[in-house]
Amino acid sequence: MTTETGTPAAATASAEDLHQLAELANLVTAARDAMSDDIVTRLAGAMSEGITLLDRLTRNEGLIYLLQELDRPENQHFLVSLANAFTEASRELATTPQAQGGLGCAIRLVRDPGVLEGLRLVSLIGSRLSKSMREMHRHGG
Amino acid sequence: MRILVVGGGTGGTIVANNLARRLSGEIRAGKVKITMLSASDKHMYQPGLLYVAFGQMMPDELYRDQASLLESSIDFHVDPVEQFELDKNQVKTKSGKVYMYDVMVIATGSRIVPEQIPGLAEGAETFYSEAGAVKMFKRLREFQGGKIAVVVGVPHKCPIAPVEVIFSLNDYFKARGIRDKVTIKYHYPIGRIHTIKEVATWAKPEFDRMGIEYETLFNVKEVDVQNKVVKSEEDTEYAYDLLIAIPPHRGMEVIEKNGLGEGGWIPTDRHKLTMNGHDNVYVVGDTTNLPVSKTGSAAHFEAEVISENISSIVKIGTPVRDYDGKVYCFIETGHDSATYAMFNYQNPPNLKPPSKPMHWFKMSYNKMYWTSVRGLL
Repeated sequence: MTTETGTPAAATASAEDLHQLAELANLVTAARDAMSDDIVTRLAGAMSEGITLLDRLTRNEGLIYLLQELDRPENQHFLVSLANAFTEASRELATTPQAQGGLGCAIRLVRDPGVLEGLRLVSLIGSRLSKSMREMHRHGG
Repeated sequence: MRILVVGGGTGGTIVANNLARRLSGEIRAGKVKITMLSASDKHMYQPGLLYVAFGQMMPDELYRDQASLLESSIDFHVDPVEQFELDKNQVKTKSGKVYMYDVMVIATGSRIVPEQIPGLAEGAETFYSEAGAVKMFKRLREFQGGKIAVVVGVPHKCPIAPVEVIFSLNDYFKARGIRDKVTIKYHYPIGRIHTIKEVATWAKPEFDRMGIEYETLFNVKEVDVQNKVVKSEEDTEYAYDLLIAIPPHRGMEVIEKNGLGEGGWIPTDRHKLTMNGHDNVYVVGDTTNLPVSKTGSAAHFEAEVISENISSIVKIGTPVRDYDGKVYCFIETGHDSATYAMFNYQNPPNLKPPSKPMHWFKMSYNKMYWTSVRGLL
């Protein structure tokens, strides 16, 4: 009995497997027929350039260090703030009358504590960057 | 250690890039310096010339700036070597500069010398230079029917090229609908239709199937350009309407002038890939006198062995690998199918039936080549 009931089930499973295999073969054939020398060449060209780019990125010590630093929560927060600042500044610029120029205009600008904080941030980055660059050139880098 | 690579073709570029990767720490620490001297600031993908000759690739697709292919730590100069002074471990270049080395890799390659056969340069189309390949395509394009003779000079680069050009001609004229108006006759210098026995055995029924005529033991003696007749050393001749030649090759002139090897081929140890009698001089690619095909793939596999050995000498004081004579040749069997031949000193090739995926593999490789010379594949 066991054999009699088992055989049709196995046969069904086998037929389903074959059907799925046939579907897969059809898919491969369809993909093969849809390909052309030009598609293959363009894909290979993109892949070649992609591999080269990936190689350069992964062996670039500066970029790897930058990624490590960007992993720190405070730097991620800084990036978010930077992105928001770009958006807000862009919108504000669109609605603010064009600057007249001159010393008076500059004085009005630096009266804003936010602007002064921003200048301080830029000068701090510049100060550390110049120190680091000086060290690098001192060691022949 | 000062490593000097002379020549910026496939072999030289792969050696230099592989070394720059393997020895990046030593280069940064100032213990190793890699210098490359080349005759050109451009790098050409030479196998692409066959495709140019049949209008399947444009010439500009074959070139990249050599500097863009090299690791930034390689000191690259377009300043070809004119004098090799092996006893002093130095070379002198065209600009008059002297470059000292501790290890040198000679990768100067080979050149076509159609002028060795009277009338061949004037009377035959070839695809071994950009100008030649473009001219050959234009001649094929205007060809409306008649007799095409394919002749083969020896020695020559890319052993499969004579067979490939036959398959390509057959498919090209079929696609134009004039195959029945074209007679293609293949002439080969030895007693079978290809120097590699297995390729000859495989190609013969293929030629029969395509209706290709063939004559073996046909060593080109001269071309009578006026009367369009090609003559052999064996005293046979063939009247043609279009003559296509695989021109004979020699090593570079600078190798011959400096007495480094007869015919421009440097006597090389078949496993160590060092120049005979000079353990600190390696030879790669076409420049060797090894009994292997003069192909990019042979240069590639040799370059891997050389760079691994030089870097292991720097790191542990001894080489670690031997070259086994490996060569891998794609064989385009028309415009939509291909196969390949892989062999080494010990094992002959075992050709598989041609297929479309294999053709795509070759088409892909035409682009992936740039990844390969950068030392990534």
